[in-house]
Amino acid sequence: MTNQQTALASSAPQSAFSRGSMSDRLIIALAIICTFIAFSPFGYAVLTSLKSEWKDGSIIPFLQFEPNLLNWQQEFGSGGAETVKALRNSTLISLGATAVATTLGTLAGYGLARFKYGIGNRNLVSWFLSQRFLPPVATLIPFVLMFRDLKLLDTLPGMVIVNATFTLPFAVLIMRDYFADLPAELREAALVDGASEFTTFWRIALPLARPALVASTLICFAFAWNEFLFASVLANRDWKPYPMLVAGSDTVRGIDFGFVTTRMLIAVTVPVTLSLMVQRFIVRGLTFGAVKG
Amino acid sequence: MNTKTKRSDGTLKNNRAKYLFLMPGVIWILAFTLFPLVYSFGLSLTNYRLGKNPKYIGFENYAEILGIGDEKVDKKAVSTASFSAFLFLGSTAATLFFGTFVAWVFNHNLPFLRQMRAIVTMPLFAAPIALGWLGVVIFNEQSGPINNVLEGIGLGRVNWFIEPMPARFAVMFTDVWQWTPFVFIVVLAAMQSVPDDLYESARLDTKSNWQLFRSITFPMIAPALGTVMLLRMVESLKIIDIPYSLTRGGPGSVTQTYVYYAYEKGLVGSFQLGEAAALAYLLVVVAIVVSSIYFYRVRERFE
Repeated sequence: MTNQQTALASSAPQSAFSRGSMSDRLIIALAIICTFIAFSPFGYAVLTSLKSEWKDGSIIPFLQFEPNLLNWQQEFGSGGAETVKALRNSTLISLGATAVATTLGTLAGYGLARFKYGIGNRNLVSWFLSQRFLPPVATLIPFVLMFRDLKLLDTLPGMVIVNATFTLPFAVLIMRDYFADLPAELREAALVDGASEFTTFWRIALPLARPALVASTLICFAFAWNEFLFASVLANRDWKPYPMLVAGSDTVRGIDFGFVTTRMLIAVTVPVTLSLMVQRFIVRGLTFGAVKG
Repeated sequence: MNTKTKRSDGTLKNNRAKYLFLMPGVIWILAFTLFPLVYSFGLSLTNYRLGKNPKYIGFENYAEILGIGDEKVDKKAVSTASFSAFLFLGSTAATLFFGTFVAWVFNHNLPFLRQMRAIVTMPLFAAPIALGWLGVVIFNEQSGPINNVLEGIGLGRVNWFIEPMPARFAVMFTDVWQWTPFVFIVVLAAMQSVPDDLYESARLDTKSNWQLFRSITFPMIAPALGTVMLLRMVESLKIIDIPYSLTRGGPGSVTQTYVYYAYEKGLVGSFQLGEAAALAYLLVVVAIVVSSIYFYRVRERFE
């Protein structure tokens, strides 16, 4: 709430430039250059995906070809079964992982924001977050053996477990921060009225935390969607998610640029769109609450 | 009054509810992070290969990697670790520099900056494995736009995937391109929390933007920069997706990161899980050091 207001209200050295239109123009020019650098590879990929023949040495590709949708048709049409299946897998895995992570994260986040635990709340928070600091290979190796023994290799539950584990720290952090910012009196008032702790959480705190819940859901979904490393080992047949198709783009027809960029764009569209919707939670989420956004 | 109620909550013995909120998450982490980590340490003390019976060999795997005793140091571990160190230093420094610069640019009250800001953050959320492939297209020696531009301005073409140094930089550039927006949004948030009146009073003394940045902005954003630097360091140790799709670790293995090496050792080909676990565990130690510094710095925020 307050974050947004401060973000809108304060834009630091504004008056320095209010009349100096020279520096205004310079800043705008620099901003355009930054935006161009961030966006142009995507733009180039879009152009490449709309192209089915390549002329070597074309500096300005959009002047030297006729755009068509052949690559896109092929990705979803003739060779589409694999694509559709991988997208379905990615969707189910990400939804499952998001549901688990957000549920556990909301409960733990509420607990950490509202109660004091003997072991020390900051130790608990650090402990929840430490997962993000581990190199994934360190847990990937035992996961192979654990999943083999539990018959979870190449299954939906297995992939949900893996991705929920990765994204849980984001959910805990985002929810904890939001609950901590809600006035504590709300809970106290409800408790005085005789409501149980859980009713207070469910009826009072949770409805108020809806924005954070949405943010946590979208961020977890985006991160689960992007996961490749664990999937490459733990789900390489029936439950192959879309990033695995992207990774294997060269084995199908050599490196066909139109084909590769089409797949790449499909892979990035979902998380990029989701993230644009939750901009204001992203700073805190990604720094694990260390920096207020 | 308020603090009293809070404190009494914490110490009340009949307040079981608080554990019910916390426990599901705690159990999850115990089962799927802590247990695998202990398991992994156990594995690192064996000569386990998939399909063979593991034997306890103590710290032999570690000795082999580090070249302790009569073992020779694992050359590939050293070379991949040095590429990881290259990214750890180079990528962290570059993202901090560019991210801070971009944040400074966008910390002005001018039209369209908000819209452009959203576009600038896009690379951050794309799957790194997909960005590696995007790099394959962009850095392509014959038809890629980068070489076309370099040739256009008279610098000549670069063999991004054939020569070791350009290949290393191709991986670094891709990573920097993806992560600069991260530094950008965090530092921008920090810049926007600097009170306006600080600038007002400083402007009485100087008109120079650089002076303002050095004397006001920088000291105010330094804590956020420190935090972001540590997070970038940890993340840079985990890089594998980008070289996996961009260079396949090549030419030779010059762009193979340490994590990539552990992955290859344990999970591709001969599946030397014991040795791979030992490789991974050495990195866990480094990650613990960096993350301890991080948690020490931000401890008040988590109270």
